[in-house]
Amino acid sequence: MQYDDPKFWRAGAISTTVVMAIVLIMLTVDSLRAINAGGSHVPPYTVINRHIDYTYNAKLAREIPVIGAEELLFGKAVGAGDAAALIDRGKLVIQSRACIDCHTFMGNGAYYGPDLTKAWLDPVWETWMAITGADTKEEAMARFLMEPDKYATWQRKMPNLGLTRDEAVAMVAYLKWLSSIDTNGFPIHFGRINVSNK
Amino acid sequence: MTPAMFLLTSLSLGLMVLAAGAYALLYCVARFKGSRAFLMLAGCAYGVLAIDTAGLLLRAPIDPPWKLLMAVSALAYLFIPPVTWRYLQSTHREEGVHS
Amino acid sequence: MSRSKALAVKYLSAAVLFFGVMTLSGLLSAVYYINPDFLFGVLHFNTAKILHIDTMIIWLLMGFMGAVYWFLPEEFGREPVGIWAAEILFFVFVAAVLAVAAIFLFVQWGPSTETTLWLVQQGRKYVEAPRWAAVGVALVMLVFAWNVVGTALQARRITGIMAVMSVNMVPLVLLYLIAFPAIDNMAVDLYWWWWLVHLWVEATWEILIGCIMALAVMKLLGTSRRIVEGWLYIEVSLVLGTGILGLGHHYFWIGTPDYWLGIGGFFSALEPLPLLGMVVHAIYDAGVHRMKTTNRPAFYWTLAEAFGNFLGGGVFGFMITLPQLNLFAHGTQWTVSHGHFAFWGAYACGVLSVCYIALQERRKLATVDGPGWIWAFVLLNGGLVGMVGSLLVAGMAQAFFERAIGGSTLDAFIAGQENPWFTLGMYSRFGFGLVFGAGYLVLVLNLLALGRREATLALRVAPAE
Repeated sequence: MQYDDPKFWRAGAISTTVVMAIVLIMLTVDSLRAINAGGSHVPPYTVINRHIDYTYNAKLAREIPVIGAEELLFGKAVGAGDAAALIDRGKLVIQSRACIDCHTFMGNGAYYGPDLTKAWLDPVWETWMAITGADTKEEAMARFLMEPDKYATWQRKMPNLGLTRDEAVAMVAYLKWLSSIDTNGFPIHFGRINVSNK
Repeated sequence: MTPAMFLLTSLSLGLMVLAAGAYALLYCVARFKGSRAFLMLAGCAYGVLAIDTAGLLLRAPIDPPWKLLMAVSALAYLFIPPVTWRYLQSTHREEGVHS
Repeated sequence: MSRSKALAVKYLSAAVLFFGVMTLSGLLSAVYYINPDFLFGVLHFNTAKILHIDTMIIWLLMGFMGAVYWFLPEEFGREPVGIWAAEILFFVFVAAVLAVAAIFLFVQWGPSTETTLWLVQQGRKYVEAPRWAAVGVALVMLVFAWNVVGTALQARRITGIMAVMSVNMVPLVLLYLIAFPAIDNMAVDLYWWWWLVHLWVEATWEILIGCIMALAVMKLLGTSRRIVEGWLYIEVSLVLGTGILGLGHHYFWIGTPDYWLGIGGFFSALEPLPLLGMVVHAIYDAGVHRMKTTNRPAFYWTLAEAFGNFLGGGVFGFMITLPQLNLFAHGTQWTVSHGHFAFWGAYACGVLSVCYIALQERRKLATVDGPGWIWAFVLLNGGLVGMVGSLLVAGMAQAFFERAIGGSTLDAFIAGQENPWFTLGMYSRFGFGLVFGAGYLVLVLNLLALGRREATLALRVAPAE
């Protein structure tokens, strides 16, 4: 019987692998178009100059980020070049401090600290504005990042990783941009409690 | 999807595959021993899988295409042990290894 | 003993050593969940976790390499091409791993510059090692690939298993290049990073362990090459047929188009099917040989591989793979539960099986048995199952309270973490982790002592005769 012959299955292995790999490559080309900054799912870095929200869209039946009116970060408008530089610095902070080994980004990473996908939109920053004496959310975030151990509110404290002012500002910019990515509705109903039985 | 239904659906899916594993194990033991008792136990394990799948199809808050996938998977789990067994027996027979 | 086999023993020994480092750093990571002030300001969770997950990759990789170097001379009937280079690089590899561990422990982080990425920390999960070390790992793997592929090209006859292994080497090595770039855009970074992680552990590593298990089963049970090769091709078809586009189950939430929800969910849901076939195959092999073998630990670890792979990857994965459910379970301890079980079942058990196979030949033992391996087997597997069960409970609580109800804010996160089911899970996980650790110690003692007692007794008896 043909199916007893290893060569039959060898042909199957080769053809399956080749077909699947080709499909993956085609989907990758399309996906990269969507996820490059400025693509359909990922806004350009200059979005940090705008208000960002995350609201339910009935047509898509999920939450989507909504980019609104001008809302400058630290009171300064940044052009494309400066925005890219901030994001570049922010990512270097994330990697040099191994943030992803305590936190998650879009659910990927470690689970000791909270997910940071929509951290920019977390209502809790108002508390930190009061604690740090900051006038704005971004200032509170920057002050927290520079001295997290000083502004701890829970038994599980974030350690002080020696962030400079520039690094903290870049990190805040990164988190603001990150919150604007369309993640197909993750996390679900961010900031709203759901106790529905329906 | 409510929080409770999410947990229930996840656990049901896990039970589905676990029952498939139990069915496969019992089926193989039944074939080795030529035992009707173990074959019936295998049937019971698949029965758990079938009931679990029926529950998913009737109540899980997922769209019809996904339910179709669950139904087809459940059917595939039914056939995998006997088809694999037949293949292994046939290839071992060719090599002169008795079972 | 051939040079390749001698190198294999070195790699397998190093693998077992780093398995211990992984276990210790895992226990340390677990302590923080119970006592968050532990070593605060000195050594933090992220460092412990980095050591834990990176040594996991290292010990398994070294285990695979040891297994391959062990079987290569038998498959090709000659020493592998370039074995001299592999012998040198073994010491370089081990030294580099130790150096990186020391940097992680004592330096930990640096300023946000490229220099930090090159010398201290790259901060991408599983591939945190600084770039200088990544260059070293890439070199080790290139030489490893050369040893396999070069020998295959020079051989007059190449077996099906070696052909599969040789072809598999190419994506295995090329994918590691993804460990190098630092991409600003997190969506793009994660997109490529998942090519490395998923196409390693759910594709090329599956093929590699499939080849290794084929060789192990031929040795342990005397199964014919034609049978194992046919099975290997079936496995490649099914694993890659479901696993290549199953990569999409990591693309649900990272900013990629939503067609990945359908594609990833569909192919991922099919992934347990071949695993069930492997379970049937394992039981068949065991039964056909009436559970008889001259190397019981190797045999039982092979069985554990088939069952563990199915349970950890198949059952635990299926619970959270559909996108409608993954939306809640993603990035919780549920993921951790699945990950631990799947890695253990799919890879660790297989490597331990090969350790015993090599041991039998190295110490010229007619049979390998005794109570020692049984204790190690029970403690390790029992500890592991206890850990993943604990993490499952904690993960379910977290997904329920933090995500499904709480809205995933910081307050929701804290509520989930402080939920009694969650904290119970953390204490329980630590307890079972200690059981697992005890199992590791028994394993090491067993591996060191096997066969030596008989040899010592023989020496004592001999002079009296």
